[in-house]
Amino acid sequence: MRSEEAIRAAVQRVGRIVRVRRAALYGLRGLAWGLTTGLIPLLGKAGLGPAALPAALALAAVGGMAGIVYGLLLPVPLREPARLVDRTFRLDDRLATAVEHLGQVPRGPLVEALIEDAADRVRDRDLGATVPWRWPREVRILPASALALWVLVLLPPVRFPEGVFPSLTPSGEQEAERQAQSVPVAQDRRLARARETAPRVEVQERDYLRRRGTGRETQQGDLSAIFRDTNIAQRRPDFSSFLKHGDDRLKILGQVESLPDLQRDFTQSQFRVAFRRAKRLLAGIRPDQVSPEKLRELLDEMRRLGRRGGGEEWGQDVWEGSEALADGRMQRALEAMERALSRMRAMEERSGKGLEGGRDRGRGQGRNPGMRGGEGEDFGEYEGSLPGKGTNPDWRGAPSTRLAQDPLDSAVEGQPRRGRRDAFDTNLLGKGSRNPSHLPYMSVYAQYRKMMEEALTKETIPLDYRTQVKEYFRALEER
Amino acid sequence: MGEERVERFGRAFEALRGEIQKVIVGHDDIVEQVLVCLFVGGHVLLEGVPGLGKTLLVKTLSGCLDLSFSRIQFTPDLMPADIIGTNIIGEDAEGRRHFQFQRGPIFAHIVLADEVNRATPKTQSALLEAMQEGNVTVSGTAYPVPVPFFVLATQNPIEMEGTYPLPEAQLDRFLFKLRVRYPALEELNEIIERTTRAEEPTVGHALPGDQVSGFKELVREVPIASHVRELASTIVTATHPQWPQAPEVTRRYIRYGASPRAAQALVLGGKVLALRAGRFNVSAEDLKAITLPALRHRIILNFEGEAEGIDVDQLILQVVEAAEVEARRGKEVFFR
Repeated sequence: MRSEEAIRAAVQRVGRIVRVRRAALYGLRGLAWGLTTGLIPLLGKAGLGPAALPAALALAAVGGMAGIVYGLLLPVPLREPARLVDRTFRLDDRLATAVEHLGQVPRGPLVEALIEDAADRVRDRDLGATVPWRWPREVRILPASALALWVLVLLPPVRFPEGVFPSLTPSGEQEAERQAQSVPVAQDRRLARARETAPRVEVQERDYLRRRGTGRETQQGDLSAIFRDTNIAQRRPDFSSFLKHGDDRLKILGQVESLPDLQRDFTQSQFRVAFRRAKRLLAGIRPDQVSPEKLRELLDEMRRLGRRGGGEEWGQDVWEGSEALADGRMQRALEAMERALSRMRAMEERSGKGLEGGRDRGRGQGRNPGMRGGEGEDFGEYEGSLPGKGTNPDWRGAPSTRLAQDPLDSAVEGQPRRGRRDAFDTNLLGKGSRNPSHLPYMSVYAQYRKMMEEALTKETIPLDYRTQVKEYFRALEER
Repeated sequence: MGEERVERFGRAFEALRGEIQKVIVGHDDIVEQVLVCLFVGGHVLLEGVPGLGKTLLVKTLSGCLDLSFSRIQFTPDLMPADIIGTNIIGEDAEGRRHFQFQRGPIFAHIVLADEVNRATPKTQSALLEAMQEGNVTVSGTAYPVPVPFFVLATQNPIEMEGTYPLPEAQLDRFLFKLRVRYPALEELNEIIERTTRAEEPTVGHALPGDQVSGFKELVREVPIASHVRELASTIVTATHPQWPQAPEVTRRYIRYGASPRAAQALVLGGKVLALRAGRFNVSAEDLKAITLPALRHRIILNFEGEAEGIDVDQLILQVVEAAEVEARRGKEVFFR
């Protein structure tokens, strides 16, 4: 029993020392931060007056006290001081093990012996050395903070220059003065602002859905657009792909009439140009903040676009907008501009959503000769009726006038051929046929057949695949 | 009473070690760890090139203990029945015939399984079943092996031709894997001196066999502090790359970590070391002293570890270091 008490007393004593050391550690830490914070009222001594120094000292004291209280309140589990003693006196965890087994009932002979042993080893030890002093990192800023505090006490109050920061909110007088100096339209804006309570027609961008197989926007002169909207658009144009799918591409190239018009840049349609400018003009600002000059520029631009074509549809709206702007009626001018935009958009949709080409033109001619598309027509909805697709019996589509008109362009002509498998004999016409990289299919066949035979001879092809390779080349030869 | 038992254990341990060292030169750590295994009740796998005294060590140990000993030389054509025994037809006094079980060499207190990796897995498993279960089943009848039952298996790490390496699941059943290294120059001189003279060194019985079981019970009574137990668990868990706090070396080089048997081996081995030191409790240092033999055969390196030729022992030392740091993590500044 005496051993137990000795162990408990030793552990409790170390626990108390830990609390004191902790209080000192956290107290110093709190004091350092308190002193640093205390510099703030001293810097504002000019405003606080004689209360600055007591406030600074109070902050330092509160910081120190808070640290001390925190250190004292932190729990000290019994086994932790025991481990500290074990570590300090190299007791090989005797005391910590004994402390954990003090409450064990019944105790075995080894536990009894352990308690006796541990008690003997902690008796007459200087437990004060168990818990070393630990200095907080903040103690490094403590002298600097104290010195700064002392200097600020001695120095006269620091006066901050006034008007350092410009006023970001203009006063009412400045605003009135600025409005007086502005153009006469600005005077009418007050009236317009009062009237603009009704909800405005929202300008929305109606983007076209990108069709499957098209990875990017078609640019002018982009020949890869020939294969867009087809299932081979994403395939790599390597030789093996050519051997397997060359016929598919050639078939598509044969449908020259259904190819899109690559000479035209679809991204620069009238509506899109006008819409982008309108969007830039109206983005993120209120209607009363729209610059009349910018709006006038936009309306002028729309009028110019109307002269190129389609102006009869939205020209009236543009004219009304210009008139309203001249009268200083911004709201009416904006509404007229939005109406004009809507009409442009409707006209754009009627014309086939910007994709004007042989395919689109052919479809329009098929349905209603002489007209380019129809009202409410949707490209995807009628995809099955396009030439060469779905249920349309006309697999070649209408002939394109572009290729015939341009003798410098390239073209592919072909004839279907019946055999074991349907094939297509093709010839490249125009300047593309003079391209030195052009390889006629039937002439390279012999070279590749020779390479195949060499590969078979050198046994680089596995035995099981030899027959298949031979069959494949034989099938090609038959064509 | 407790002190007296601990003292007796310490004396017996030192007496056994002294007797063995009359024959075995050097290898103090190997001798000590073999004795730790004996008192824990585990089995030992000794790995080393031929001629380093592995077999001699086991034979000497059996000579020091008053226990039965048998040696089984494992060969590819060794069959399970050659180890565990078989039923033979016997005849009683009245001339009636019946099957009677003829016990194999495994029925001994100390079994030396020499070159255990030379036998087929079927034969190896016959031995390993006895190690784990403590009995042998033949024709539906279980025959318990004698207590204490101590298997010391040896294997040669370089001659891999025609061998059947023990699978990881079977390796796990050995408490320790000890690497017998080549002796130093002075030790080699001493070996030559002792083994080339006329009289050969002899050993006497240092410990009665029945006391071994008593000491095994004493070992399990040794108390252990919770933080020491947690250290053992942390070390074993730190060998698992899946553990979120696993050290970098573990994630990089280890495929599978040690099993819970490794933690048991650490704690039990630590208890024997504590008793040997005359202590009544296990310390963290006891655990760290036996991490290598307890873990090295339970850690499986991944491809990167194998390709870079990572030494498992070095890896374990780094893992232990990281585990100690992990055990201190989150503690208040005074208790770190």
